[in-house]
Amino acid sequence: MRDVRPWTYAALFGTLWGALEATLGTAVYLGRVPLRGTLMGIVGLLCLICLRRLQPRPGVCLLAGAVAIFLKIFTLGGFYPGPIIGIAVQSLMVEIAMTGLGGGAVAAAVGGFATLATNPLQKLGMMWLVAGPEAVSASFDLLEESVSALGFPGVRAVVIFWTVVVATGTAGAVGGLWAWWVSGRVALRIGAQE
Amino acid sequence: MNRAAAVLLAVAAAVVLFGQPVFALWAALVALAAAWVLDPPAVRAGLRFGVVLAIVFAACVTAAVVAWAEGPEKGIAIGGMVLLRLLVLTAAAAVIVRNVNVEWILSATARAGFERLGLVFGLALNTLPHLVEVAGDVWTAHVVRNRKPFDHIRRLPGLGVVLLAHTARIADDAAAAASLRGHSALTRPGVLLRSPVRTAVVTGAPSCGKTAAIVRLAEILGERGVPIAGFVQIGVLEEEIRVGFNVRDLLSRDEAGLARLAGRKGGEFGTRFVFSEEGFALGRTALERAAPGCVVLVDELGPVELRGGGHMPAVERAMSVPGLAGAVIVVRRSLVPSLLATLDATDAVVLDIENLGDSAAEEVLAALAL
Repeated sequence: MRDVRPWTYAALFGTLWGALEATLGTAVYLGRVPLRGTLMGIVGLLCLICLRRLQPRPGVCLLAGAVAIFLKIFTLGGFYPGPIIGIAVQSLMVEIAMTGLGGGAVAAAVGGFATLATNPLQKLGMMWLVAGPEAVSASFDLLEESVSALGFPGVRAVVIFWTVVVATGTAGAVGGLWAWWVSGRVALRIGAQE
Repeated sequence: MNRAAAVLLAVAAAVVLFGQPVFALWAALVALAAAWVLDPPAVRAGLRFGVVLAIVFAACVTAAVVAWAEGPEKGIAIGGMVLLRLLVLTAAAAVIVRNVNVEWILSATARAGFERLGLVFGLALNTLPHLVEVAGDVWTAHVVRNRKPFDHIRRLPGLGVVLLAHTARIADDAAAAASLRGHSALTRPGVLLRSPVRTAVVTGAPSCGKTAAIVRLAEILGERGVPIAGFVQIGVLEEEIRVGFNVRDLLSRDEAGLARLAGRKGGEFGTRFVFSEEGFALGRTALERAAPGCVVLVDELGPVELRGGGHMPAVERAMSVPGLAGAVIVVRRSLVPSLLATLDATDAVVLDIENLGDSAAEEVLAALAL
């Protein structure tokens, strides 16, 4: 079928995501809003899962991610590597989950989990790249000491880190299911299921 | 000159990230000095006082943490590397972004053979102001309708639904505009329905009377002595729920089952329905009557046909008959862009009959200029 809609939908939903990242995203990052990564992650999930539900074609999420990065760099957002890597990873994770698991609610939840669980991993990776393995190791030691001082001696930093990964991932899975529900209402509203 | 600075800084970034500390120090110093000479505005913009202060602070914190864990010497070494890496990466990002603009990206995608990607980026830039305006309107409506702060938060999902639905509608409009302009770069090669006669594409909301309009049109053409060939698809209802479609030959009035809801096993051709060959055979028979001077009536073409299956081969044969008086194709609204991309017509008009009521058939007749 010679259908241009997957391309225009990817362009428009990528534009919406990029515009939200460049405006709301920049505001929450500059304002140091708590859980800003999780908040912007769920905004991205909403755009990607809705796009994939309305246009269930492989690759649309990656294309929307490319558009969002393009707009983020060339508009208000500027060239900040963290959010750009975040957008790329998020679009890749949702694409893999939605393509690999058939594009249903379960795929949305798995995509949401993978997307937000990679946030702490991404931060750790950047720290490892910029500051080196010694700084990562020292940060883990500092974390263990801090937790011990708070009254939890013997808790290993690796356990704390993976707990954070699973907790943010779970928030992402809930966000993914919510995005799936919202996208169902969008589909009904525009008559995509007529 | 600026490109040389970008290349130098990119090489320095690779060395400071993955090289030995001594090489990293020299690479960073040479690259920063060269960039300062070759592209001073970019380096000044990237390494502003506040940014440099933040980089020094990050390096000091890293040095302090590593010194606490592994001793002062290690702390100073790691802190120094962090300082170098952040300085080089920030300067490299500033110089590269200054040298890469939107036009460069668009021409690069075209040169690399990714014309569609360039068009998508162009569409994103063109629609951004419109989308921002829509978002502003949606937010204003949300604030006006929800005066209490708690309502603002409680109805945020509704705000998301409206914004996403608007985005989808703009995407549909953009797709329709691309198809109407014959913009083929975004489309994939597929079926091509040649129509050498004036063609009316009839559309409208579900259950707005499209089939009734085609039946009435067939009656009017019959009264005027204009020969017709074609069929309508009539919904089959059970307890007010549509469970399938029958095909009815507009001339002989013969009827056959075409599609029924598939149930849990899943449908065919990516739909919710299973299809009957008997229905397609009746459609073929109806369209085989197409002859010079006759009007071809097709109610309707769906996703199966637009992928080249179902009734499409019979419709293609009927449309290729020389000397037809006109053609009428019914399609649901969401498929209008796809149909227009498929239709190779010399003269076509799209008619949305939702609000036309009983005059819909006359309007279609007028559109055909018969």
